[in-house]
Amino acid sequence: MALVRKKTDFVGDTVQLEAVGLRYADGPDIFSDVSFTIPQSSFHFLTGPSGAGKTSLLSLMYLAKRPTRGKLMLFGDDVTDAKRTRLPAIRRRLGVVFQDFRLLEHMTAFDNVALPLRIANVSETVVERNVSELLKWVGLEEQMQARPSVLSGGQQQRIAIARAVVHRPKLILADEPTGNVDDAIAVRLMQLFVELHKLGASVIIATHNEHLVARFPFPRLHLNEGKVTALPPMQASEIGVVAS
Amino acid sequence: MIALRSELPLKKGDASGRFVVWLVMVLVFMASIAVTTNAYIGALLGHWSQSVTGTLTIQIPVMLDANDPASTAATEKVLDVLHRHPAVENAATVPREKVTELLKPWFGAGETIADLPLPVLIDVRMSASEASAIAAVSNAVQTAAPGAVIDDHRAWLNRVIGLAEGLGAIALTTMALVTGALGLTIVFATRASLAAFAQVIDVLHVVGAKDGYIAGQFARRALLQSLLGGFAGLAIYAPTLGFIAWLASRIEDGILPDVRFPVSLWLTLAVLPLAAGAIAMITANVTVRRALSAKV
Ligand SMILES: Nc1ncnc2c1ncn2[C@@H]1O[C@H](COP(=O)(O)OP(=O)(O)OP(=O)(O)O)[C@@H](O)[C@H]1O
Ligand SMILES: [Mg+2]
Repeated sequence: MALVRKKTDFVGDTVQLEAVGLRYADGPDIFSDVSFTIPQSSFHFLTGPSGAGKTSLLSLMYLAKRPTRGKLMLFGDDVTDAKRTRLPAIRRRLGVVFQDFRLLEHMTAFDNVALPLRIANVSETVVERNVSELLKWVGLEEQMQARPSVLSGGQQQRIAIARAVVHRPKLILADEPTGNVDDAIAVRLMQLFVELHKLGASVIIATHNEHLVARFPFPRLHLNEGKVTALPPMQASEIGVVAS
Repeated sequence: MIALRSELPLKKGDASGRFVVWLVMVLVFMASIAVTTNAYIGALLGHWSQSVTGTLTIQIPVMLDANDPASTAATEKVLDVLHRHPAVENAATVPREKVTELLKPWFGAGETIADLPLPVLIDVRMSASEASAIAAVSNAVQTAAPGAVIDDHRAWLNRVIGLAEGLGAIALTTMALVTGALGLTIVFATRASLAAFAQVIDVLHVVGAKDGYIAGQFARRALLQSLLGGFAGLAIYAPTLGFIAWLASRIEDGILPDVRFPVSLWLTLAVLPLAAGAIAMITANVTVRRALSAKV
């Protein structure tokens, strides 16, 4: 039994793609033969033009889609054809910020953020403390009891981010998480991701925002025409130069 | 255990929810009628078969003997045989007034009936009711008075039982149809809300909710709706039953025997809404799990 590694003791790569391909129904390949590795506690930007497939690639990693081809490993576990009943446990170690937020309209901001904790049966006292603290941190102390529909796009985005990180996920997948906020808030939100990264989480942030990418010294995965290229941190001088 | 918090906005007044409550109300009402009918027929049958088993009616026709038009001698002889027979508990002629009474509805109360040559009827209560005892008594009576007609009510009872079984089958069929209708209602209502809440369910999945958790929320709603509808159905059934009982009480004595419903009927009626709730809960759970298992 000593040889059996508990999932929580996992040391190794957070994400591993081997020759992964994806297509929707009968459409063309969005990408084919994509391979890369996201080590533990790393930070990556996922860049690429609109329509390149950033959201699609992330959705493979948050297990909303299965690869059409190739092999996908999460936390050292082959999930390519994993049984459905195994997925919830893996998903609870992920934090996802959707490009379109996907907040639940029938719940308050507080309840939206509390969702991952409650689904994992965390005690209400802990929920109360962690959620309030986090909402304060993202500057939404006043809006805790508001419904998402009455909040601004930027406020909704901050709720979406809070929901993605409240349960201290091991892997954070954020799709344009700063698309709706001004630069000052964008930097503050990025600091949140950086903090979590320093605490040991792996972070992947999909974005078009070159200014933001240039501001942080993190490596890039560039997606274009169905291919992923690993690029070093962006230099300010590269802004506006289309990567090929 | 039933969690009180709900991550799905299932309570939000959607029309399909009210539709389920309504339909379950109607279904439980129908099931109540079926159950009561079945119990009534059972009780009636019990009453009748109890009052006729172990009894014989012997009919000694008039003018069996031209010298004795009232068949007095034959009657005496038969009674004598019956009184001495070990399988007979007691035997007595039915008084002529009672026979007249029985025939009144057909002949009227006038003079005709008084002049009518009526057969002599002998009521026999058996101490043993097996077929062999009945056959022995029949033989003895036949020997004493050839031409006497012996009726052990079997043929009549069998026809009544046949009718009762037919009605019982209808009641069972009704129950089966009602159960099927309930199941289908829940399946379609559940599928409709699964579609309506598809996006919420996707988010719940992404944050790690298990299918069983989501299915449980739908099941809980189906349970509550069906309990509500079920008890409403019983609530409207109670006065209906009272009304029928009142109608029955206005019928003259004798035509319908006074039947007491068994306690089991009241228990069954009380269980109907609970059964509807259980069926709905299980159906919703299975429907959701099936639908979700087709996802990634
Ligand atoms: N559900 C879907 N069904 C069919 N095709 C889809 C679907 N979702 C995305 N696509 C296609 O896949 C390609 C990649 O889309 P995706 O959303 O992944 O791009 P993206 O890089 O995230 O773009 P953006 O930067 O604009 O968000 C697009 O051509 C799009 O039309
Ligand atoms: Mg996208």
